[in-house]
Amino acid sequence: MTVGAVETHLPGPKEVRDLLSGLLGREVELRTAPPLVVSRKRPASVGVYVDARLVVRAVIVCDLPLSAYAAAAIALLPLPTTEASLEAGGLDETLAENLHEVLNVAASMFNVPDAPHLKLHALHPAGLPLPGDVHGRTLTLGRREDLAVDVPGYGSGRLSVVLT
Amino acid sequence: MKILVADDSRVMRQIVIRTLRQAGHGGHDIVEAENGRQAVELVQTEAPDLVLSDWNMPEMNGIDALLTLRGAGNAVPFGFVTSEGSDEMRARAEQAGAAFLIAKPFTPEAFDEALTGVGLVAS
Repeated sequence: MTVGAVETHLPGPKEVRDLLSGLLGREVELRTAPPLVVSRKRPASVGVYVDARLVVRAVIVCDLPLSAYAAAAIALLPLPTTEASLEAGGLDETLAENLHEVLNVAASMFNVPDAPHLKLHALHPAGLPLPGDVHGRTLTLGRREDLAVDVPGYGSGRLSVVLT
Repeated sequence: MKILVADDSRVMRQIVIRTLRQAGHGGHDIVEAENGRQAVELVQTEAPDLVLSDWNMPEMNGIDALLTLRGAGNAVPFGFVTSEGSDEMRARAEQAGAAFLIAKPFTPEAFDEALTGVGLVAS
């Protein structure tokens, strides 16, 4: 058995769409987008995924609007609950907890046969300080998927899956 | 029927309960647990007819909860509702005595199929 040579699976747009549509209970729409650059002016939530040896293999980045819309949609929270978060520039506790579950289940996209098994190790919700190493991983070029996501009934935001 | 739903995510417990209702299995008594250890305790005190459990949970994970129950001679029907849907996980679940494994994200149809497929509820 070869160890160390196996590559993390980069989920394609269809896998992302199926995952989000199933989880949020509505048909989300996707289109490719330029790489998402996280900054103080453009806060984002970052889920950090590790393998069985706790090596960081991937991050999933959701900008603040998508963080709020996905977190609200999974619990059928009304749209106005997201407005305060968008105005405040960060997620409240309930939305952060809900987004954690979205990104927790999203780990299943990486777990295809013959690829390292990943799980969500940490979520850094939008609005809280992002550790420098995590921020660095969001900027990795190469194997990444950058998407604009429309959550029907809520709104649009940006999502990036980045292999590190 | 009494159903125990074990998941460390409150929103996921709500979704499981909602999906049961959407699948036509509403009206049951629902008991909730936040981790495997609490699930084992509640199975012993509440005697549910079915357990729907997440796999990855703090304190005690779902597979250890199932093994603990079976080790204590408890045969309550036990199904996983988890994002761990690989063949290996399915085999481990079956070997430990699970009745089914529903992969997240799931549909009401997947719930209906799993529950009726093992004869736990009428279709």
